[in-house]
Amino acid sequence: MKVLLVEDDAPLAREIANALRRENFAVDIAVNGEDGHHLGDTEAYDAAVLDLGLPKMPGTAVLRAWRDGGRQLPVLILTARDGWTDKVEGFKAGADDYLTKPFRVEELIMRLRALVRRAAGHAAPGISCGPLAFDAPTGVFELNGLPLKLTALEWRVLQSLMLRKETVFDRGELMEKVYEGDAGTDSNSLEVIVARLRRKIGHDRIETVRGRGYRLTAGAA
Amino acid sequence: MWREASLSRRLLGAAAAFIAVALVVAAVVIGFVLHRFVQGQIDQRLDTQIVFLTSLLRADGNGRLTLTGNADGPPFERARRGWYWQVTGPHNVLRSQSLEGADLDSPDVAERVRRPPPPREVDRGPRGERPMPADGVGPDDEHLHYRIKQVATPAGAATVIVSAPRAAVLGPLREAMTTLAISLGVLGVALVLAILLQVRLGLRPLERLRRAVADVRKGTIARVPENQPLEIAPLAQELNGLLAQNEVNLERARGHVANLAHGLKTPLATLAIALSDRKHDAEALHPLIGLMERRIRHHLGRARSAALSGPVRTQTVVLPRVRDLGDVLSKIYADKGLALAIAVPPDLAVACEAQDLDEMLGNLMENGFKWGRGHVAVSAGANERMVVLAIEDDGAGLLPAQVAQVLRPGERLDEAAPGFGFGLSISRELAELYGGSLDLDASPLGGLRASLRLPAA
Repeated sequence: MKVLLVEDDAPLAREIANALRRENFAVDIAVNGEDGHHLGDTEAYDAAVLDLGLPKMPGTAVLRAWRDGGRQLPVLILTARDGWTDKVEGFKAGADDYLTKPFRVEELIMRLRALVRRAAGHAAPGISCGPLAFDAPTGVFELNGLPLKLTALEWRVLQSLMLRKETVFDRGELMEKVYEGDAGTDSNSLEVIVARLRRKIGHDRIETVRGRGYRLTAGAA
Repeated sequence: MWREASLSRRLLGAAAAFIAVALVVAAVVIGFVLHRFVQGQIDQRLDTQIVFLTSLLRADGNGRLTLTGNADGPPFERARRGWYWQVTGPHNVLRSQSLEGADLDSPDVAERVRRPPPPREVDRGPRGERPMPADGVGPDDEHLHYRIKQVATPAGAATVIVSAPRAAVLGPLREAMTTLAISLGVLGVALVLAILLQVRLGLRPLERLRRAVADVRKGTIARVPENQPLEIAPLAQELNGLLAQNEVNLERARGHVANLAHGLKTPLATLAIALSDRKHDAEALHPLIGLMERRIRHHLGRARSAALSGPVRTQTVVLPRVRDLGDVLSKIYADKGLALAIAVPPDLAVACEAQDLDEMLGNLMENGFKWGRGHVAVSAGANERMVVLAIEDDGAGLLPAQVAQVLRPGERLDEAAPGFGFGLSISRELAELYGGSLDLDASPLGGLRASLRLPAA
């Protein structure tokens, strides 16, 4: 799961990013509206956290530009403007959720998880695939009712596959969702991660679809 | 370059154009009248000559025309100057000496030149027709002005032609017009200068006012002087009113900032002590942050209310605001899947600023979404003066004792009822500011009903 964070206040951006990474999220940070717009327009993200008062390009303009360009990623507006009129404006520009500063980072994480889950078409907070269960609000995976220990990269891969279970997840897109923008992407390491995941949840759970990508399946075909 | 912004240019330009048009029209009219006058003088002289000639005409024994006296009085005696006469009888032609034997053209002269209009009834004198005017060319190719008349003589019908040089008409006219043009030109320049002076004088108070406003900005004077010309005095008064209002607002804003700073410093001090104590449980510090946020919201709300000084007479249609807020809340509380029922007449309006209505409705509707289990309803009714908006939910509701607590004004912010947003007391304060009210009771849906009463627009 990868999130774009557009926030011009560097200490706040750092704190949010650290908190999100502790929860296994991959995070790209943009410190102004233009960079934010560009990243959101060209990279694949599961969600964006957008400040409204941004240098170079205001947040609502960034959001409108994404929506006009057909970018459907869920966007959570994070701002100090707490008036209802501001909220209405934000949602009209295309926001999916709105959080005012100050906020508790736990709440931000919870809302982001809910946004990503709903955007993937899951109405209920719990998602299961065979013996594997995912609790979206907490981000916890269980296998046969027992908590599953995963590294951050493993979690990102499995979470992506889980949200689109039983369908083929494109390899390239999966890599984009797993690695942060400035991290070197080595396609071999994705193979390694998938191999480790298979050892943890069973080899049949993750199918390799040659030339296309991976599919998480309830198995027992 | 034309600048829309320059008053003096506009005034001056319009006046100059008007003066120019007026002077040209005057010149044309005077020229026309002068021409008629000079022409009339010449015609009279020529007609007199025709009468004189006619009175001298006799027939001799052979039926030829002769003159009984000398008809070559001045100016007809001067050779080749354009002053000619010629009488064409049935058998012979008589000419003025000035023609020196040259022919004043044939009788068809009247055909060759501009055909004169047929004489009108009133123009006919008691003794036959008046002479007709015509233009012609003399023996030296000079332009001539003719007067032609058919007369009856003892020898039969004869044509009398008398001419004057065209220059005799145009010369004096040109001279008069030159003088006239110079005079009118001078008059025009004088008028434009007068208007320039008037514009300068007339606009001087505006310039003085501009300098006064600049001085106010610089801080050398506190108010714009109000002893201004009648037309500008209201502007100066309005400016001073604005300055006074600004001062009051600034003072209020300073007060709010000071209060806010004070309200934040206490929890900050607590926070600072707690942070230096490593053993302190971080979780216990969150209420302090919540307290600071509530204080900020409270003072922002107060600052807004202060800006509402004086009668507010904007009107806001309720339904679009309810719909927008409903859309927002449906997204924020998407997971609850609540059904929002809106029963608000489309043209119902309240006398509130849209932002304030958003604030009141937003807080109340959010409460509904937060506590409702399956349904939130917004309905509206109105009498002549007040609109009542009811926001209901099917949540747990409040006990009467709790109602009093959640509506408690902002002084005891730190004890705001847990769970219920600080928003209820903000909504109530705003409603009362507009002369309305907020009441909480039990809803038929099972939860809380908030009745927001606001002045109708």
